[in-house]
Amino acid sequence: MTRITRFVGGLALAAALAAPLAGAATAQTADSDAQIMQGLSQATMFDPSLTAQVLRQMAQDAVTQNQPLTLDKSEIAKRLDKLAQITVQIQFALGSDIIRPQSYATLGSIADAMHHPILANYKFIVVGNTDTTGTRAFNLKLSQERANAIVQALVVVFGISPDRLEAVGLGQEALQVPSKPQDPINRRVQIFTIGTVGPMGKPVPTSAP
Amino acid sequence: MKRFLFGLAAMLLAGMAGSASAQTMSYAEAGALIAKNCGPSIEKFCAKANLGTGEVRNCLMAHQDQVPQQCFDDYAAARASIAKRIAAQGDAWNVCNANIRQACAGVQPGDANILNCLIDASKVIRPACKSILVDAGWWQ
Repeated sequence: MTRITRFVGGLALAAALAAPLAGAATAQTADSDAQIMQGLSQATMFDPSLTAQVLRQMAQDAVTQNQPLTLDKSEIAKRLDKLAQITVQIQFALGSDIIRPQSYATLGSIADAMHHPILANYKFIVVGNTDTTGTRAFNLKLSQERANAIVQALVVVFGISPDRLEAVGLGQEALQVPSKPQDPINRRVQIFTIGTVGPMGKPVPTSAP
Repeated sequence: MKRFLFGLAAMLLAGMAGSASAQTMSYAEAGALIAKNCGPSIEKFCAKANLGTGEVRNCLMAHQDQVPQQCFDDYAAARASIAKRIAAQGDAWNVCNANIRQACAGVQPGDANILNCLIDASKVIRPACKSILVDAGWWQ
């Protein structure tokens, strides 16, 4: 990914982009196509042990045991922070997984980036988060349903291969701003670049003379 | 060199966002088009219908007499453009195969290296190859 990093690195807007989760309060929402591509293509390394299953289980355990999940301080959070990622706001109907029409274009922007050759060989985890309004168990379920809805729209409407996407709901367990747990800023969707679909192809053969 | 890279990046990003010369609209533009003239009807009649399930379209059809015709026209245009762009993105490397072998020998696939090579070699690229890359949204 070094080449695109160089490309985009030359753009003025790069200065406006936060490093991935540079700090909860300063994390920015990716609003433009350029920001989405920039965020998702910054991967320099992957963490094979960090899977959708691990994340789901972690959140589920915290809710079941009614233990606070200090994700912002955990080892997993630190590892997540290192992944290429973006945070986007998707508008859902209140308390449901229905994506509101005003966010259709945002889904399209994500699809534009994922379909581009820069990202075509990569896989992603779509993570849904809520604020602390409502119960923890409800929020966990709702955020999983919302992440599922995003994946479904990306696959069915915009033709992203389902092999490249996994949905994870973290409920209220990974607040963006833990000091303001009910702030709507915590309701957000994160997309992490987690690995490659397959090995990169071999170099193009030289034409026979 | 920096200026060259900047220009290339701008071209790439403009291509991603769609442009007046593209034969298809970007996925973002397609989503925005559906939202623009169907959004109010979806919010009014289809509040429990989700994108990607077929429910939205079925619901709009069920309220055909109350939904503006512009919504159906735009919905159809957006879906057709999305389908055309997906097809172009899927076929692009096959259509461009001869050009890739000719102009990009030794290039390591991945990270848009092949696309960048083709754009660099634009003067010798066949029209069919360029055309499908435009439809794919990867070439301005």
